[in-house]
Amino acid sequence: MSTQVHANLTRDQVEQISEQLGEPEWLLETRLEALDALDDLEMPDVIRTPGRDWTNLDALDFESFVDPLNAAQDKERVSAEGIEVLEWSDAVAEHGDLLEERFGSVVDPEENYLTALSTALFTDGTVVYVPEGVDAEDVKIRTTMNSQSLFNYTLVVTEESSSVTILERQSTGDAVEGERYYSGIVEVAAGENSHVQYGSLQNLDDETYNYTLKRGTADTYADVNWIEANMGSRLTKSEVETTLDGDGAESHIVGAFFGHDDQHFDINSRVWHRAEHTTADLVTRGVLDDRARSVYEGVQDVGRDAWNTSSYQRENTLMLSDESEADASPKLIINNHDTEASHSATVGQVDKQDLFYMTSRGVDPRSARNMLVEGFFVPVLEEVAVDELSDDIEELVAERLRN
Amino acid sequence: MSSDQDHLKETDTEARFEFKKEENSAFQTEKGLTEETIRLISEDKDEPEWMYERRLRALKQFQQMPMPTDWPGQPDLSEVDIDEIVPYIRPDIETRGGAENWEDLPDEIQDTFDKLGIPEAEKNALSGVGAQYESEIVYQNMQEQWEEKGVIFCDMDKAVQEHEEIVKEYFMTKCVPPSDNKFAALHGAIWSGGSFVYIPEDTTVNMPVQAYFRMNSEGMGQFEHTLIIAEENSEVHYIEGCSAPKYSAFNLHSGGVEVFVGENAHVQYSTVQNWSKNTYNLNTKRAIVEEEGTMEWVSGSMGSKATMLYPATILKGRGATDNHITIAFAGEGQNIDTGAKVYHNAPDTKSTIESKSISKDGGRTNYRGLVHIADGAENSSTSVECDALMFDNESTSDTMPYMEIQESKVDVAHEATVGKIGDEDVFYLQSRGLDDDDAKQMIVAGFIEPITEELPIEYAVELNRLIELEMEGSLG
Repeated sequence: MSTQVHANLTRDQVEQISEQLGEPEWLLETRLEALDALDDLEMPDVIRTPGRDWTNLDALDFESFVDPLNAAQDKERVSAEGIEVLEWSDAVAEHGDLLEERFGSVVDPEENYLTALSTALFTDGTVVYVPEGVDAEDVKIRTTMNSQSLFNYTLVVTEESSSVTILERQSTGDAVEGERYYSGIVEVAAGENSHVQYGSLQNLDDETYNYTLKRGTADTYADVNWIEANMGSRLTKSEVETTLDGDGAESHIVGAFFGHDDQHFDINSRVWHRAEHTTADLVTRGVLDDRARSVYEGVQDVGRDAWNTSSYQRENTLMLSDESEADASPKLIINNHDTEASHSATVGQVDKQDLFYMTSRGVDPRSARNMLVEGFFVPVLEEVAVDELSDDIEELVAERLRN
Repeated sequence: MSSDQDHLKETDTEARFEFKKEENSAFQTEKGLTEETIRLISEDKDEPEWMYERRLRALKQFQQMPMPTDWPGQPDLSEVDIDEIVPYIRPDIETRGGAENWEDLPDEIQDTFDKLGIPEAEKNALSGVGAQYESEIVYQNMQEQWEEKGVIFCDMDKAVQEHEEIVKEYFMTKCVPPSDNKFAALHGAIWSGGSFVYIPEDTTVNMPVQAYFRMNSEGMGQFEHTLIIAEENSEVHYIEGCSAPKYSAFNLHSGGVEVFVGENAHVQYSTVQNWSKNTYNLNTKRAIVEEEGTMEWVSGSMGSKATMLYPATILKGRGATDNHITIAFAGEGQNIDTGAKVYHNAPDTKSTIESKSISKDGGRTNYRGLVHIADGAENSSTSVECDALMFDNESTSDTMPYMEIQESKVDVAHEATVGKIGDEDVFYLQSRGLDDDDAKQMIVAGFIEPITEELPIEYAVELNRLIELEMEGSLG
């Protein structure tokens, strides 16, 4: 499974990427080790039940679309006062020590085949550094992918008592022959009493395969909050995760997806409670139309020492078409009894009574359905701190409903 | 509907039995389970050739299938030593599988018998010490009533001889094929004993049919096979096992249960399992339900070192219904991994799963369940509810449901909660004069009430008493 890509990739390519970015020796080593590790690494975990793979990543033909040296993109970065938002080569030049300390500290580069591939080949990255006590809003990182493949890396470090809201979005620009691959790794290290909201809107074209791993660690009294919106791509495997390492830490993971045609979304929200008095709230809402298929896995893992934990999870899927499929597995793994944990999941259609009520008020059935679907996303949109993100999600949902 | 057919094919596996004769030699090792052993068992039972063939095919399946090891959080099965099995299943070796003498029984089991107030004869049977035990008189009276109605209730070995055609058609062919999992294959090779129940059309059996009365010393029912066929418009309640602990020197229990629920028929299958805490309890239970039929599983898992049990229902006919009620109690050193599986393969089918688990003193419970709604199973609905109660931070409680929804006109809901006993509830009961232990016992009894009220009174009482004993920590 894994060797096929490896044959296509060389140490020379990795050295060339690293040199162009002016990277220090340790980073080149990390990349080369990740490259070497590809042979032994497995694809990210997917759920398998008897006779059924919920997502089949092994079938992806990487060789046809991994082209590391010709990465091309348009990138816009909007910074905020008092903080630094740096492109990778600048970060390497100005924050060498910070990178050496933090790079790979939250997401192990060799965690799975795709993280190692991304680590070996990423050609651009962004570092958001928020100094102690600074409050920053509306940081924006917009990526437009113009090449066959693009590997992206983002590091967010917030010092004590700071806060930041970030919007990241991916879309595709110039058309490319055939299929594409986008891979993004995001590490968030939230310092004591700091607050991070990281919102992401993925709207890649329908020929793009997308792998995203976003993971944060929350120190004492810190918040790490994620908004994960998936609209585009052919197939997405998205893993959004928080480790609550410090007492009193919190995490909200909010997800939204809207699949149509033959899109496949494999959405994973996971939280690990590893300290006392921690709180997590996982909310995902998705809509499926046409032959789209969704896979959802939510994990709430409460450790032995996580006294006084509160952990909640909800997942709701609306099916607009008979051809769509929804798989869901919300998991509770509880090792401390001093816990209040719950999860719920539902799958169904637009509520018939709601529809009846609206049509009885003179709204035509199609508009009524569309309004109910838009309303379905409201609990998710309310969580979004960056207006541009909630506006864009709303717009994309509306657009998809009207087509 | 084509999707129906696809799913049902998975259960109809005669075709998958195609094995080549040349492969035989590979399995002829001296140690452990061999074809020779299977031949001896089959000869001893004087079985027809087809059953012997089926056993051999199952043995090959077993030898080829890997041990399940990659399920997240599953019990460790590395101590299950299949080679040790031979003395317990070979008819030419003298042993009953139980303890040789009353004194050889572990203290905690003797203690539990005493505390439950189990009569001497029953104690002996349960521990394997006694000779064959059957409540002949009660049993025979019932037998006569049933026979008038055409109901058949007999030992599975006897059914192979006396009802050969039915058994040949249904035995591990359509419902639980040996290829289903490694332990189903093992079961198919070495099964012995169990019950055969046949309920004719339009017949209602008012009194629960209890395997309890049928229990005997033969293999302690460790590899028993239960086959229940309920024809159109019939109704039966079958009860397996009993809540008193069963002791066996060999540590594997691998039973098989197949239930066929005919059109508009109603079958309830209740189990209270309390194997001694050295036992690995790995069962395969499955029902196929025709149009408008109803299947109900009620399971209590109290004993064993490790249990892996997921009763499954295939809702094959339009309007079929399935209800699961399960309770698991894991104390020190126990890993109870249970759940339910439901396949909605027809329109208008309905299922509910209610699971309660309690973990204490380092015990581990896991709800592992699957609900599958096939494309075309319109207007199906399913509701899953899992509640777990934890006593301490040594214990573990996992909930791992899987939902596969391929149809849009459905109503799917899943809910789960995990928590400790409410301090306020305990405080309230204490303020009414109960001590801490009694208060907790009462809360637990309330927590599992949905299960106990489904059981006949004597089982419910015994189950409650058993949980009280577990709560006192007076049992091993």
